[in-house]
Amino acid sequence: MSDQPLQPFSPSPILLSYLPSDMSIGIAVTWALYAVFAFWAVYSLVAIYHWLKYSHASWLAFPAIAAHIFISFALMSYALSGNAFFLTSYLP
Amino acid sequence: MKEFELEPGEHVVLEARKHWFLFLCELLPYAILAVIPFALPKLLALAPPVAQYAVFFDYHTILTRAVLGAWLLVTWTSAWGALTRYFLNAWVLTNKRIVDIKQSGYFHREVSSLFLSRVQDVTTHVEGVLPSLLGIGDIKVQTAGEDTEFIMNGIPRPEQMRDIILRYVSVEPKNTSV
Repeated sequence: MSDQPLQPFSPSPILLSYLPSDMSIGIAVTWALYAVFAFWAVYSLVAIYHWLKYSHASWLAFPAIAAHIFISFALMSYALSGNAFFLTSYLP
Repeated sequence: MKEFELEPGEHVVLEARKHWFLFLCELLPYAILAVIPFALPKLLALAPPVAQYAVFFDYHTILTRAVLGAWLLVTWTSAWGALTRYFLNAWVLTNKRIVDIKQSGYFHREVSSLFLSRVQDVTTHVEGVLPSLLGIGDIKVQTAGEDTEFIMNGIPRPEQMRDIILRYVSVEPKNTSV
């Protein structure tokens, strides 16, 4: 979908009926994405701290952290813009 | 090695983790969660009473794409957390002791040592077709003291591990004090 210009949100009417009347779909999605990204940031920081602190696992620590960050950023980019970089061909 | 300090003359003989197959089994729920958004619309379309809900899964709108991206991000992060926990749990055999490093959750770490001089018996246990084929088993180390057992579950090639432990047990002088 990255080759298409941005469109206003166009969810199905069925989906819209579940939202409170005073909340726009744009605001709901924005806050939901903020919450997910905040969860991701906290969880990733805690896990990376553990990878780096306990050095018996260090031979895999940096590749694992790098893979996590690359794939996560690709998925975040997909959620925001539809462009998932190297994952684009695997996603709708 | 930050979990424990090696004593003078002590060196690490080997480090073991759970068998890779058990790790793959732990990843299975996350794989299913990742596939659900792609499989569900196809399954819904096959059942006419609920076919109308397949419209939720049209990923060509910005909203559903954002939801799919967030879903996959959470699933991926959780699976990566499982990899982290897998690597933070380990058994370390030195020429003087066995160290069990258990990471039950983040900030919940337990490191226990068993000196080889206290080992009385080492038993391996492999049960089932897949564990036999893949070489997955448990090792039970019995000691002379009151805490009689030290169990390592799901480790690869348990017989080989047992032989290595016994080799170092026979080298280490026995602690016979009461």
